[in-house]
Amino acid sequence: MKYLDDHWPGLFSDPGRVERWQDYARRTDEKIRSFLQFEPETGQALSAGEGKISGVPFAVKDNIAVNDFRLTCGSGLLEQLESPYTATAIKRLQAEGGVVVGKTNLDEFGMGSSTENSYFGATHNPWDLARVPGGSSGGSAAAVASGVVPFALGSDTGGSVRQPAAFCGVYGLKPTYGTVSRFGLVAYASSLEVIGVISKRVATAGLVFSIMRGQDPLDHSSLDYPEQLRQPKALKVGIPAECRKMKLHEDVRCSFEKTLKILPDLGFEVKEIALPSLEYVVSAYYVIAMAEASANLARFDGIRYGARDMSADNPEELVILSRSRGLGEEVRFRILLGTYVLRSGFQDQYYLRAQKIRTAIRRDFELAFSGVDLILMPVYPYPPFKTGSEGLDPFTQKLADIFTSSANLAGLPAMSFPASMESGLPIGMQFLAPPFGEELLFRACSAYESRFPAPDPPLYSTTWSD
Amino acid sequence: MKREDLYTTAVMARLKLSEEELARFEKEVSRILEYFSKMMEVEVEDLPPTTHALLKENRLREDEPAGEDCADLLLQNAPELEERFIVIPNVL
Repeated sequence: MKYLDDHWPGLFSDPGRVERWQDYARRTDEKIRSFLQFEPETGQALSAGEGKISGVPFAVKDNIAVNDFRLTCGSGLLEQLESPYTATAIKRLQAEGGVVVGKTNLDEFGMGSSTENSYFGATHNPWDLARVPGGSSGGSAAAVASGVVPFALGSDTGGSVRQPAAFCGVYGLKPTYGTVSRFGLVAYASSLEVIGVISKRVATAGLVFSIMRGQDPLDHSSLDYPEQLRQPKALKVGIPAECRKMKLHEDVRCSFEKTLKILPDLGFEVKEIALPSLEYVVSAYYVIAMAEASANLARFDGIRYGARDMSADNPEELVILSRSRGLGEEVRFRILLGTYVLRSGFQDQYYLRAQKIRTAIRRDFELAFSGVDLILMPVYPYPPFKTGSEGLDPFTQKLADIFTSSANLAGLPAMSFPASMESGLPIGMQFLAPPFGEELLFRACSAYESRFPAPDPPLYSTTWSD
Repeated sequence: MKREDLYTTAVMARLKLSEEELARFEKEVSRILEYFSKMMEVEVEDLPPTTHALLKENRLREDEPAGEDCADLLLQNAPELEERFIVIPNVL
């Protein structure tokens, strides 16, 4: 199988081509603004050279640590932070010859769906610069879609890999919880998040995942990847009845219907299933994510690193002022809400109840997967939306995580894929699989890819490699 | 949520909110808490809570130092240093 387009392998062993590629990357990124830091030479020095992805460039979301690169998390508080170490997932890719070429833009600490909540400014969608690339891994998705890199890493806490991949017309893999080490991923909601891959081809995501996965002594929640079970001949795909009832933008509805028509042609058997807890997942997801965020982000105090408010008269004030000035509005909002739902007297009503609903959605999935191999859902109820006040307000964006956050609550692997073009914009759907069912996802997405490959946006070009 | 509750929560979270922010957050927080109250519809009596979706047991390890020593590099990121000490304002 071909994992990468011909122009990627060994790119860094050909100085002439590297120069033309860099030129293309810089020109493209002037419009898209995917990168917070673009330094291929720095990354090249850290790569092993020989391996499964020798000389292949890739980009990394700026909440994942890479030695000698900054680690801003899209936050003003961490603008100057230089990472003194490298995440395990990145080390494994570097050991196979992969080259980190830069760090990509994101919603601050991964909190958002548009990459507009970045201290460093917004990233633009390669399909329409007046629209958002999705988020929070919007920089990574836009860099892949514009042809600057064949793949990029993101993190998915409630849809942050799949939704931007869908908005930009590329593939987005959210692996099974724990299969990729979180060591070096700046923690937002530890029980939900996982490092994922955004790629232009399905096979690339499969290759990258196979290199990154596996237990890591530095992450005690990381898991050994089990031997794959024998795959069924024909795949049964479950369609949640609840999805049909929910309000979808007409372009998303149209794309969903088209996908349902194509599946039987590809040899899939389609069956209706029930996920009765689906309507409660957004509440449960946000209560848990914000509660964990309030604890995880307590470390940002301006004392050991990060922007410190020098006007403080005492240590207590130093912490309060550094946090209040250094953290953006959405981040402070989530810390505040997370602190509230964990307060004594409110815990049972919010946090504990959310954890119990988490059990309910897990059981819904277990029951559903006793009758089907995969589940198909839309990724997001809206197509890529406009930037700024013409777009979606933050509350509407949160409600729209309904289709993505359920996989995080249940720890399941899921992969978004470009399903069709509607009104000139890509629309994505996603497959969900039982734990460790990544091979099923790759197989299903490859089948769909053979019918409808990831479309090239107007500015996409590979002429630099000629 | 009442303004007073929001203020107490901000103190606990070590955040300082301006009057204007308090007003904006008060509205947003109330809106989302009202949305969260939808969870009260679910019968949760017999459901155990899930803390981690796939983690079955606690994993233990020997308490031995491992990995790279990057203490000096970490110190380079400190806002103010005196030799190897991080400087903060006077405590008293």
